Amino acid sequence: MDLSDGVGNLHLMVEAAALNPAADSSNAQKDIPPADMLRMNQQMSNQCFEMAVQLQAGKSKRSCSTSQADRDLPDYVKELERVKTPNFNSTLILHRMQMWHAIGETLKRNDSEAVALKAGNDLCMALCSQIKLVQQESKVLQDEITEVQKKRLEMKRLIHENMKEMEDLKSKKEHGDTEKYKAALEKGQGNLEKYRKMSVMTQNVLRGIILACKINWMDDPKLRDIVMTLEDLPFSD
Amino acid sequence: MSLLKPFSKLPGLNTANILLVESEEQFQQSLADGLVEETAVTVNVRLAKSLPLPKENEESRPRIDLVVFIINLTSELSFQSAEASLKYLDPGYFLGKVCFMVTNARNASVPTERLDAVRKLAAALHCPLLFAEDQTPDGVTNATKRLLSILKVSAGLVPMATALYLSSLTSCTVPPDIDQPSFD
Repeated sequence: MDLSDGVGNLHLMVEAAALNPAADSSNAQKDIPPADMLRMNQQMSNQCFEMAVQLQAGKSKRSCSTSQADRDLPDYVKELERVKTPNFNSTLILHRMQMWHAIGETLKRNDSEAVALKAGNDLCMALCSQIKLVQQESKVLQDEITEVQKKRLEMKRLIHENMKEMEDLKSKKEHGDTEKYKAALEKGQGNLEKYRKMSVMTQNVLRGIILACKINWMDDPKLRDIVMTLEDLPFSD
Repeated sequence: MSLLKPFSKLPGLNTANILLVESEEQFQQSLADGLVEETAVTVNVRLAKSLPLPKENEESRPRIDLVVFIINLTSELSFQSAEASLKYLDPGYFLGKVCFMVTNARNASVPTERLDAVRKLAAALHCPLLFAEDQTPDGVTNATKRLLSILKVSAGLVPMATALYLSSLTSCTVPPDIDQPSFD
């Protein structure tokens, strides 16, 4: 097939070109740093991989409907994710190991870079111990703050309780007073009623006596005073 | 047959080639200006009104890593032109080397059916659908950044990621209730 042939040819050409960067005329003059060359190498290998995938897809052709393919697609994607994640994690671990190995090798070599690395390392250690000290101090301060806050809360609670007690007592006192007062008041009123009735009765009796005796009470000043006071209270209830 | 093929030419070293297809030819200019400012990689931007591309440039044209269709939602012509251009792309492109970019999605005069149609098209082709704001420089910068990240993967510049893998993560999906009327 035309497509797969073309892609296959290109694949070979790209691999050849990647293995032989000096043959690439556009970059012959520049002095490319090795990191850039590694990057370009990776780019080319990526492209080769894509073309290889295309070739693979072209080879294994089977006919199935789009709906079937759509149904299969999420399963394949999940499978891909399942495989890709541990691969990625392992690559990260590998990179880390490589980096540590490189650092170790530099330190062993004991040249200017190693000296710089060691100085950096010492600075890191000093900063870390400082950080630890400061963190401990801040922890102590934080604990003190927590204690003070607890005491404050306790105080607030006590104040609240005391206020409530005071309110209760105040209302109870007024109420208690009124009750005793009420009892006394009623008793007094009862007494007053009793004596009032007695005095009304006595006055009525005296009035009756004076009228029956037919005394001329207006001439005698003492009698007149007594009769005047008889009119203070009503005749009958 | 003037199909644009993804693998018919050699890839460029440390370069990424992008083709912006827009029938209004407005937004692609500002996007292009933003894209070429990238310094780590040489970005070549080709502009086109629609596909098929003219035969005269066939030889000098580099291999295109990413084809972006810019659709302005306020004009039906834009959508139809993009749809018609899709026929001139080799199917190999739809494995992660095609992207749809939509502008003016927030415009009130846009009928909801058009956006739904674009969504369905992007989902059927398993392509990412980006929304861009082309009136402000900030919007253009944001759109440029997103296009650059997809372009870098398509051109193979990101280790451990290929265009096909990225497309399986970023492809547009259609919500299941897209045919029901929305609250307007």
